[in-house]
Amino acid sequence: MIQFTGVSKSFDNEYALRDVNLKIDKGEIVYITGPSGAGKTTLLKLIYMSERPDEGNIIVGGWDIDKLKQSTIPFLRRSIGIVFQDFRLLPNKTVFDNIALALRIHGIHPNEIKETVNELLGDIGLRHKANDFPQHLSGGQQQMAAIARAVVSKPMILIADEPTGNLDPDASTMIMKLFKEINLKGTTVVIATHHKDLFTGTGRKVICLRDGGIEKEVAG
Amino acid sequence: MKTLSYLFQTAVQNFLREKWINALTILTVTIGLLILSVFTVITLNMDLALKRWAKGFGIVVYLKDNITLEEMELLKGSFKKDPDIIAVNHISKDKAIEELKQIIGNSNPLLEGFEENPLPASFELKLKRESLEPSYIRSKAANIRQLTGVEDVQYGEKWLSSLNSLSQGMKIMAIILGSIIFIATAFVTYSTIKILFYRRQEEIETLKLLGATKSFIRMPFLMEGIFIGLSGGVIGLLALIGLYVFSTSKIIAFIPSMGGEMFSLHPYTYPILPLVGTIMSLTGSIFAVGRIKY
Repeated sequence: MIQFTGVSKSFDNEYALRDVNLKIDKGEIVYITGPSGAGKTTLLKLIYMSERPDEGNIIVGGWDIDKLKQSTIPFLRRSIGIVFQDFRLLPNKTVFDNIALALRIHGIHPNEIKETVNELLGDIGLRHKANDFPQHLSGGQQQMAAIARAVVSKPMILIADEPTGNLDPDASTMIMKLFKEINLKGTTVVIATHHKDLFTGTGRKVICLRDGGIEKEVAG
Repeated sequence: MKTLSYLFQTAVQNFLREKWINALTILTVTIGLLILSVFTVITLNMDLALKRWAKGFGIVVYLKDNITLEEMELLKGSFKKDPDIIAVNHISKDKAIEELKQIIGNSNPLLEGFEENPLPASFELKLKRESLEPSYIRSKAANIRQLTGVEDVQYGEKWLSSLNSLSQGMKIMAIILGSIIFIATAFVTYSTIKILFYRRQEEIETLKLLGATKSFIRMPFLMEGIFIGLSGGVIGLLALIGLYVFSTSKIIAFIPSMGGEMFSLHPYTYPILPLVGTIMSLTGSIFAVGRIKY
């Protein structure tokens, strides 16, 4: 599903990633961990093409990033759901509209959007908050809504960058449970986190980064 | 279509959310269009007045004293066939002296020294309005001068040239003013849309990451530009109609003969102003949004 071969990326002549080789298979849950500045966010940005590699080759869901034209990038991104630490919900849209936005971009019919979003809101327990604006929700609820927006279009890959960074332990547990449920439906999940307790004992693949390189790859 | 309808709704919401900056831009567009349209109406009215004034313009063809009747008929026939000439009036030698006597008086000492009638016979030719172009008239007069039996050709060359220069000058002014206002209006919309674009930068970044195409991101901004231009055009049109009705009523009250003589603002010209406003603002918006990169 995701393959990095000899990938390097630097900013201001300083390596953010150096000669990274990795392979993530379809249906896996993979944790990317490491201290701040290790290159976790850069690695994720390379997957959804917010950054381009200086060297090496990246393949995501069958797309060769090197050969991808500007006009094709939106279509790659539609197959990837992204969850951010700061949620990035649009403050001027209701929870319903924030989630529906992903489907509107896909050009889905309004009736189908209504049905899908309401069902998803029910699944994550936010149906009563559908018409509220994000700023009136708790941090956990906002992250739930952000995850809902990321998965509503049933992407092949779900990428989460420090998804529990701003949340209390209860909300974090709830979010991680949600990721497992999404993964069970066949979506490949890549989570970047420096919270060891999120992956310890899960038995899932954990890629440890340090100074832009892969330090080790272990089972959580 | 459903996407377009969603983008339209988004544009309306954004337009209303930023109502003050948009209202200010609409006001600027309205003023620009109003200045342009008032100047255009004045130019058209002056052009119309000049053309009406030029209606009486003609060429006088003086004939040789020894011209035969046959040659005169030939000349008359060729003038009547000429598509530029709308009326041919023959003034005989006798008629010419009669007219002069009427002007200067029968017993004027000027006429006493002549034993014979010194005035030549002539043809007065009235020309079509469309043919009153100085260089065209000059070559036409030269051609007539070559015809058999013609002594001389006279026409108000200087007067025609000044009239023509005035009309041309006004048209050039209208083009220059129009271009300045077009650029200024497009620039005002450009600035507004650019500000709105920067204000929504975070939203645009999120849309990009969700897989929105460039047109999905661009469209609401272009629609906002259209709303601005269209509103400015409609308000400008209403102001123009009001101003036109008010000023014509004042002019007609002052000079009653001007009634029916002035350029009238027909309803079929109404869509022009909103259309021009829309094109101006849309141009500004297209430049403001620019190229979107992922």
